[in-house]
Amino acid sequence: MNEPEEKKLAELLKKSLTPLSPELNRDLWPRMLRRLDEQHPARSWIAALVSPAAIASVPWFDWAMLAALVVGLCLFPRSIPIWLYHF
Amino acid sequence: MNTHPYLRAYMAGITVPSMVLLIVLSGFLTARYAYHVPIPIERAIVFPMALVPNIFGLWNIFYLWLRPRRHLPIGLHGAILPFILAPTGFVLGTYLGFLSATAEGLVWFGQIHVPYHYFAVGFCFALIAYYLVWKYLVGFFNEVLGIA
Repeated sequence: MNEPEEKKLAELLKKSLTPLSPELNRDLWPRMLRRLDEQHPARSWIAALVSPAAIASVPWFDWAMLAALVVGLCLFPRSIPIWLYHF
Repeated sequence: MNTHPYLRAYMAGITVPSMVLLIVLSGFLTARYAYHVPIPIERAIVFPMALVPNIFGLWNIFYLWLRPRRHLPIGLHGAILPFILAPTGFVLGTYLGFLSATAEGLVWFGQIHVPYHYFAVGFCFALIAYYLVWKYLVGFFNEVLGIA
């Protein structure tokens, strides 16, 4: 194949391929965010903290300790300022 | 890429005491102005406002640093903190003049008398409170910030 034929072949190849723009004509990031949101719906941190699943995962002895704390505060309300100071 | 894990640990650590600070201040104000407990707020607030959040942040950094070396569950790690905070609070309270130690027990704000055996029980309650707070709240914020 001589040089003119190579040039002609190159031109034919260029014509046969649709031109590609180097930049995408759309922004992919919003679609990516939408897909992520579909997989893991955004929840506020407080909703995640007190979600039924999170509460159900608390073992019974932790509930017992929390109850003991609440009962202790109810029995000794004068200790509340000390708690406030030390937290 | 440096993801600054210690900075995130500090931020996760200070979140809980910073949020509780609003309750602390409200409690102090209520005690002083509604129940006339002579709490010197401007002196008493120094410890919960300035020291406790920073100590929480540093303690969480220490937890993160310690994890690959000697792993301790975060609840137990937090339950150790009252052993540091209680003496620190006692020293500061004594120095600032609203906490005094007598033969019968401790006297807070010149009004609240706490016998030593009650103080021992209260300290056990503090361990429980810190265990729960660190296990569930600080642990949660560590998860949110990606360092759990």
